[in-house]
Amino acid sequence: MKEIKENIIQRIKANFADAAEKNDFKDNRVDFSVKKETIPSILFYLKDEMGFIHLSHISCVDWLEEGELEVVFIVWSPKDKIKVFVRTRLDRDNPVMDNVDMIWRQANTYEREMREMFGVQFTGLVAPEEFLLEDWQGPPPFRRDFDTAAYAEKTFWHRPGREDAQDVRETIANRDGEEIPDFAKKYSR
Amino acid sequence: MMNDKNSQKIVDIIQNWARKHSIWVLAYGTGCGAIEIPPTMTSRYDAERLGVRGAATPRQADVLLITGYLTVKTMKRVIRVYEQMQDPKYVIGFGSCTINGGMYYDSYNTIKVLDKYLPVDVYINGCMPRPEAVLSGFAQLQKRIAEGRANGAQQYKDNLEWYRANQKKIIPNWIMPEYNW
Repeated sequence: MKEIKENIIQRIKANFADAAEKNDFKDNRVDFSVKKETIPSILFYLKDEMGFIHLSHISCVDWLEEGELEVVFIVWSPKDKIKVFVRTRLDRDNPVMDNVDMIWRQANTYEREMREMFGVQFTGLVAPEEFLLEDWQGPPPFRRDFDTAAYAEKTFWHRPGREDAQDVRETIANRDGEEIPDFAKKYSR
Repeated sequence: MMNDKNSQKIVDIIQNWARKHSIWVLAYGTGCGAIEIPPTMTSRYDAERLGVRGAATPRQADVLLITGYLTVKTMKRVIRVYEQMQDPKYVIGFGSCTINGGMYYDSYNTIKVLDKYLPVDVYINGCMPRPEAVLSGFAQLQKRIAEGRANGAQQYKDNLEWYRANQKKIIPNWIMPEYNW
């Protein structure tokens, strides 16, 4: 397993100059960061030349403090039993990257979700505008600076009675003459 | 004869008695709560002994169960379904999500108070309500029907503008038909 992993790292580093490997303690996992322009070519290379034929997942991470969005592609090789993480960073204010659904068709669904939930724009993505949200007018809801509680407060009615978030355990215990055990007291607000 | 107040009362009593023993529930689940319906309907709890059965289409159903959280996207379909149902029709709010939002109280996409959007006859609390609680809710609905108090549909007709305004507040792009009963 170790040799296979080393071999994969060597091959990718030889072919892609900007691929920075992050040391991963797990034997069946390789982690790379690349520039966003390299993403289609590195994924094509992994799929066609190295047997990583299965796209496990595409996810997005919001690095609010650094002003960046990180898109992570996870591909899996059934032959080598190794998964490769390919990460790329996008500018948070203008997150544009290349569409990769010509490599794996199922990437289309992930990209639609990311477009809607994080506001990442994929150039050349052909898909209907709306996916999970309908009539959405606010900012992308999965970004960390989106305040769901404030949005819910503004958009929906709330039934009065839970805004103070009071712990009713004490009230009930007083009413029924019960004693709250010591271990439960530290969880009381 | 129908104009006579006392005979109308007798007709109502017979009608309500018949209605309460024949509750057809629309097979439509909105949230996670729908998973409690199969055990309620099958042999273990056997809701059919109370006259509660499943119906396939909105036009044949009497009861609309809102089982759990209701997203804005589902809300459109639910309104559409509710307005297609024929009288008598009742709504049961099922689970704490329909009452005060439950664990989705700060979610950006689920409604918190169901009775602002649809007239609710009976609420069943719990997360999830067990089949016993569901049966108790149905028993409560039957009691209200027998007493002639389950008149949510009439309330909806009388206050349609109010309900419609609330619904349009969360559904800005209204593409559904406007009914005018």
